[in-house]
Amino acid sequence: MSKKLIYIHPAPVRVWHWIQAAGIVLLVLTGFQIRYAEMVGIMALKNAITLHNYVGFVVIANYFLWLIYYLGTGKIKIYFPDLRTFVPDAFRQAKYYGFGIFKGDPNPHVMTPDNKFNALQQKAYLGLMFLLLPAQMISGVFLWRVKGYADYVHYLGGIKIIDTIHVILFFFFAAFLIAHCYLATLGHTPLAHLKAMFTGYEEEH
Amino acid sequence: MLLQPYKGFFDGKGLGDTKKIFKERRNKMKKLKKRTRSMGIAFLFAFWLWPALGLAMDNGECLDCHNDEGLTREQGRGSLFVDAAQFHDSAHHGQGIMCIDCHADIAELNYDNDVPHAKNLAPVACSSCHEAEQDAFANSVHTQISSKGITMTCYACHDYHYATPLAAASVGQRDNNFCAKCHNPYQSHDWLPKKEEHFAFVECTVCHVPEVQRHIHLKFFDLVTNQFYKGEDILAILGLGSDQFMPMIDTDNDGTISRPEFEILELMLRQKNVHAIFHAELVAEMAPVAHQVMRGGAERNCEKCHTAESPYFEAVSIVLTKEDGGVDHHQVDRGVLKSYSLSHFYLYAGTRVKLLDMIGILLIGGAGCGVLGHLAIRIVTLRGRRQKKEKS
Ligand code: HEC
Ligand code: HEC
Ligand code: HEC
Ligand code: HEC
Ligand code: HEC
Ligand code: HEC
Ligand code: HEC
Ligand code: HEM
Repeated sequence: MSKKLIYIHPAPVRVWHWIQAAGIVLLVLTGFQIRYAEMVGIMALKNAITLHNYVGFVVIANYFLWLIYYLGTGKIKIYFPDLRTFVPDAFRQAKYYGFGIFKGDPNPHVMTPDNKFNALQQKAYLGLMFLLLPAQMISGVFLWRVKGYADYVHYLGGIKIIDTIHVILFFFFAAFLIAHCYLATLGHTPLAHLKAMFTGYEEEH
Repeated sequence: MLLQPYKGFFDGKGLGDTKKIFKERRNKMKKLKKRTRSMGIAFLFAFWLWPALGLAMDNGECLDCHNDEGLTREQGRGSLFVDAAQFHDSAHHGQGIMCIDCHADIAELNYDNDVPHAKNLAPVACSSCHEAEQDAFANSVHTQISSKGITMTCYACHDYHYATPLAAASVGQRDNNFCAKCHNPYQSHDWLPKKEEHFAFVECTVCHVPEVQRHIHLKFFDLVTNQFYKGEDILAILGLGSDQFMPMIDTDNDGTISRPEFEILELMLRQKNVHAIFHAELVAEMAPVAHQVMRGGAERNCEKCHTAESPYFEAVSIVLTKEDGGVDHHQVDRGVLKSYSLSHFYLYAGTRVKLLDMIGILLIGGAGCGVLGHLAIRIVTLRGRRQKKEKS
């Protein structure tokens, strides 16, 4: 079997990604502590709130690292599905995950540095990075200074409405985390993708 | 400590130079203290006599002279002006308290003299009527500081002539008018995050008086004009008398406005084009014990409030002021705190919406089940894949 290494995750992306991962895990944990103070005993409510705020800002800053890198290099286009082939591609990919993968069929998507995501990943990551994560960041900032942003908060319908957005997205991210980590084990070996996220190199088969 | 000038909070109104105000007050209080001793006996005597003589003088007589803005003392400073209109709106006037009920050492007005009564009158003893408040106050840090030579009277906090009924007052009105005269809470409370939110939604005494009963007040707030609706205005808009409000809203007559009943109230207001939100805040019950502010021992446990079953939210009531100056508290099911009817009030962990928790269970549970299912099939089909690989 010939093994060729391709450089798939440039350093800034790897750095961004692991900050992102650690950040989101912490935000989810402290989020549970804050929302369910009486049921969860990871840490005191006060510390959970403080930590949540700091990590929140790290994740926001990190978001801009991601944005600037991808916009600056023009690589952002890897996040945009090719609309002409999107539907059949997505269908093929879904069929693979739901069926072919069990039989040992090859992954219909072949990773290259210019096209590293399959159609499903593109759609998911695009929504995630341009809609859900920004919405989560903005609602988080509003909750951080309810009084300071009182005008906006009132305009949007009140703190409980903002909180509803933040909480639904929070559940979404928690669910995403589970699915994402699992999907990361679906490489040619269970740890292949994970290793690539550290080294930058993915093996090609 | 603390007594430094700072910008006013809550409503942006400056409080001026609090240090100066405090100094003036203190000097005045010291003087009053000296006077008390010399006047004590005369005062007691006069007080004993007042009921018989009081009837002879009504407020109008006093106000003939004292409603004049130009009236001053022969010696010394300070206006002797009493604003009749403002006095008229005061809680005391509302309860039929007269000038001489407080200035009880004025036995009679003798118009033969320049001044128809003694030039130096005894200090008013609020405690003659407010014994319970006096007792509670005597236990507080604000009385203990007399050992430092600071005497604080009741009217260090309350207006003596223009004290308005407090039961319906908002947190801002209460704290701004009282504690914030002397304390800048932003200079302490470093352990408390979100100070602005806490001081706007939690009355100081809620944390600082351990014995006090707490409850949630709901008031009608207009976001456009940035003002509270008066209770009587809401009643007028609904076309209800104050005694018709509960029978109309509480349709099942159980004495509590349930969540469906609350929603009907919202609907009624919307039909009348009232775009008010319900403003909720955590206040201390109006009782003498509220004066027992202690040094130390204040509430600092976040989980006391920020928890689903906080004891502080057991009682929730709509407060409505009435035409006659009285105040009604109408009990509301605490469930409204966890509903979108109160979308402008939310405490982390404290008032969370149940529906969202269900969505959360579905999302996270769904992801978990999907992953486990996929993983299970992967394991079951492992052999098949191995065989296929070996063949190729
Ligand atoms: C004829 C006018 C007049 C009437 C009527 C009058 N006062 Fe006065 N009052 C004065 C003047 C003048 C002074 C200032 C005395 C001074 O020079 O210190 C004064 C002073 C006072 C003071 C301040 C006393 C102090 O110790 O500094 C009080 C309190 C007071 N009046 C209450 C009353 C009350 C209560 C009534 C009605 C029962 C009343 N007055 C009726 C003219 C009047
Ligand atoms: C709730 C009690 C209370 C009532 C009612 C009351 N006063 Fe006073 N008044 C006080 C207190 C307290 C002071 C200030 C300190 C002191 O004299 O003990 C005061 C002070 C005054 C003074 C001195 C100027 C000042 O404002 O400090 C005048 C004049 C006066 N009162 C007039 C009146 C008149 C006239 C009425 C009736 C319209 C009236 N008071 C009703 C409690 C009362
Ligand atoms: C002659 C009796 C009497 C005197 C003296 C008196 N009060 Fe009152 N006060 C009353 C009554 C009666 C009420 C109305 C009932 C109530 O709310 O407790 C009242 C109400 C009040 C209220 C409003 C309570 C509310 O409803 O929110 C305050 C504040 C107050 N008094 C402060 C004072 C202060 C300060 C003094 C001294 C300057 C004083 N009172 C002297 C009888 C008196
Ligand atoms: C440190 C400021 C302060 C001082 C001094 C003070 N009060 Fe009060 N008082 C308050 C506050 C705050 C409330 C409202 C309580 C609440 O928010 O539940 C209040 C409420 C009241 C009420 C209405 C509640 C009740 O007990 O029925 C009365 C009457 C009253 N005070 C009288 C007095 C008297 C009399 C004195 C002097 C012995 C006094 N106050 C001194 C701050 C003060
Ligand atoms: C007239 C001025 C004045 C007002 C109004 C006032 N205080 Fe005070 N307060 C003082 C002074 C003076 C001290 C004593 C400070 C010291 O001992 O260093 C004090 C002490 C305290 C302390 C103890 C501080 C410590 O060092 O532990 C607390 C708590 C407190 N006040 C809370 C309140 C609250 C709550 C209110 C409103 C209900 C209030 N105060 C209204 C003047 C005031
Ligand atoms: C969430 C509860 C809470 C609220 C609301 C709150 N405090 Fe405090 N405050 C505390 C605690 C806890 C302390 C620490 C000292 C203690 O244990 O009493 C404290 C300390 C203080 C002190 C003493 C500061 C020092 O230098 O030691 C003052 C004065 C004071 N508060 C005034 C206020 C005033 C005025 C308000 C209203 C604007 C207020 N507090 C609101 C809980 C609270
Ligand atoms: C006496 C009750 C009480 C205590 C104690 C208390 N809080 Fe709060 N807290 C409130 C209220 C009421 C609000 C305002 C809710 C709103 O903005 O609608 C609030 C708001 C907040 C907010 C702003 C976000 C939100 O939920 O609105 C944070 C963050 C917060 N509290 C954290 C804490 C922490 C941390 C502690 C302990 C150090 C604490 N609180 C102690 C009652 C309390
Ligand atoms: C909720 C927080 C997370 C978000 C929003 C997130 C988002 C993303 C995104 C957008 C990519 C594509 C990266 C690129 O641009 O190249 C990616 C890839 C990856 N992530 Fe995450 N991630 C999160 C958490 C995690 C965690 C906790 C892990 C580790 C267990 C992980 C493992 C991986 C791996 C292995 C890849 C590369 C494989 C792939 O492209 O699918 N991620 N992630």
